[in-house]
Amino acid sequence: MQKKTTKQRGIRQNFREFARQWRLQVMIIPAIIFFFIFSYIPIFGLLNAFLNYDLTDGFFGNSWAGLKYFRELFHDKDFYLALRNTFGMSLLKFAFTFTMPILLALVLNELPFMKLKKLTQTGSYLPHFLSYVIVVTLWIVFLDSGGPINDLLLRFHIISKPINFLTNSKWFWWIGVMIDCWQESGWNAIIYLAAISGISPELYEAASVDGAGRLRKMFSITLRSITGTIGALFVLNMGNLLSGGPVGSNFNQSYLLGNSFNHETSYVLQTFVVNTGLNQLRFSFAAAANLILSVLSVVLLFGANKASKKTLGSGIM
Amino acid sequence: MKSREGHIINIVTVGISLIVLIVTLYPIYYCLINSLNEGKDAVSGGIYFWPRAFTLENYAIVFRTKNLLGSFAMTVLRTVVGTVVAILGTSLTAYALSNDKLIGRKFYIVFGLVTLYFPTSVVYSYLLYSQIDLLNKFLVYILPNIFQFYYIVLFISFIKELPSALIESAKIDGASEFVVLFRIIMPLSLPIIATIALFAGVWHWNDWFHPAFFITNEKLMTLPAVLMRTMSLSQAQQELQKVISVTSSAAVTTPESLRYAMLVIAVAPITIIYPFIQKYFVKGMMIGSVKG
Repeated sequence: MQKKTTKQRGIRQNFREFARQWRLQVMIIPAIIFFFIFSYIPIFGLLNAFLNYDLTDGFFGNSWAGLKYFRELFHDKDFYLALRNTFGMSLLKFAFTFTMPILLALVLNELPFMKLKKLTQTGSYLPHFLSYVIVVTLWIVFLDSGGPINDLLLRFHIISKPINFLTNSKWFWWIGVMIDCWQESGWNAIIYLAAISGISPELYEAASVDGAGRLRKMFSITLRSITGTIGALFVLNMGNLLSGGPVGSNFNQSYLLGNSFNHETSYVLQTFVVNTGLNQLRFSFAAAANLILSVLSVVLLFGANKASKKTLGSGIM
Repeated sequence: MKSREGHIINIVTVGISLIVLIVTLYPIYYCLINSLNEGKDAVSGGIYFWPRAFTLENYAIVFRTKNLLGSFAMTVLRTVVGTVVAILGTSLTAYALSNDKLIGRKFYIVFGLVTLYFPTSVVYSYLLYSQIDLLNKFLVYILPNIFQFYYIVLFISFIKELPSALIESAKIDGASEFVVLFRIIMPLSLPIIATIALFAGVWHWNDWFHPAFFITNEKLMTLPAVLMRTMSLSQAQQELQKVISVTSSAAVTTPESLRYAMLVIAVAPITIIYPFIQKYFVKGMMIGSVKG
């Protein structure tokens, strides 16, 4: 009895408090409506994977389809191609774009000249601010069979005839790795440099007294001190693995650089969804593929979080 | 005292950093010199250090072309409007969420955080926009991009650092929440506003995705979308012939040289202001990484 009255009083108090702060609550409304419409509704759109969607339907399909579209998907050869490419390309990109910033930060940290360090840092993150379209155009120019890279390789007699980088499926994943490293290594090194700057100088002094050389200090102190940061970023980026790792460029690269010549390695799940959905207008089918992609991403994120809690003692969630 | 090991590390790191600098900046420089060279002359190749046959004709043509100029103006317009709206929306939400007494605060934050982890595809955005009649409208650049939960988090963490006595005393003087926000919080938050404005501005300037998927009206096209269509040279030829009457100047320019000029124009604004603003970006990145 006693409990109930305090609870009631609590609710009444809360209500009064709510009325008193109505201005604050009004301020929240636009964002809530925004996120509901532009973030949540598209997520619900994935439910179309279980419905039959026709062009005349609104946002949701008209009848229950069960697992029909998933069965279709598992009999689709292109789906397996896209799945394979997504994993292959993503793992390759992850391996390089995750480690390059760490290496760059270590190198910048060892630079003997402050001015050069500043200059290199500032220069290296300029590409981060360029549109992917521009970046891709730059590299189309450079990788052209008559472009500077082929010219250089020919001049030094490394190759005897120009390589068609962009129309040969052999090169597609590596081009992605290269573009990502070029565009984002500098930017992603910022976090590591910040972590390095937080290391206490006493650690280095003590190591010097013990006779440790610079290389030794780099590995035993600098690298070890940023392990926590590395682990946290590893987990964070795991959720992003299937969109291409830390840079997340799979869709952009596949959509902008993919062509019929490199289809064999350039077709990924994201382009598969867009192609079957927007071009072939098979919305339910595309939703099924997209749902699988989203579920895989979430599983990867939570899996990595759990693994990091076990090994590093802390996760991000 | 310098050891041999120290010398080697110095040489290696300086070497690497020079290579990094050259590899990063040279492609942009390459476009610049080629855009300043006569297109017909550039066909023979070998322009690596400075223009061989200097001309401003490429730029003259680009700037004389109405469609390109239009897309340039459209890019500026959407960047300005999009950034202003983003700042207003973000500060409004962040101010309310920074108040610990806000009822439902936890729910709102989780509601926003979820949006960071569940990316969906353009397909459903397309369906949605066609339902609410956003396709082929200028608003499709603005409305879906007002809020970014990441920016809200950045702003909240900044407000939390401000002395709370300022807000309290203003409220005792009878100022309403809106007055506190616009008269006290916003003027004090200029550093974080600058950071978010730059993030949002650069994003709007660079976005190729919205014009490519949701816009077909030529008048609404932005620069990245036009560039996208001239990416491959065969396309560039057709596109440029469509938009540019290459008659009088056909003597010196080629689709390739015009494409270089367009690239430079798209890159220039960011490259020019970049040295002055990059410290704000770095600050934003650090706040985000610490809190996130």
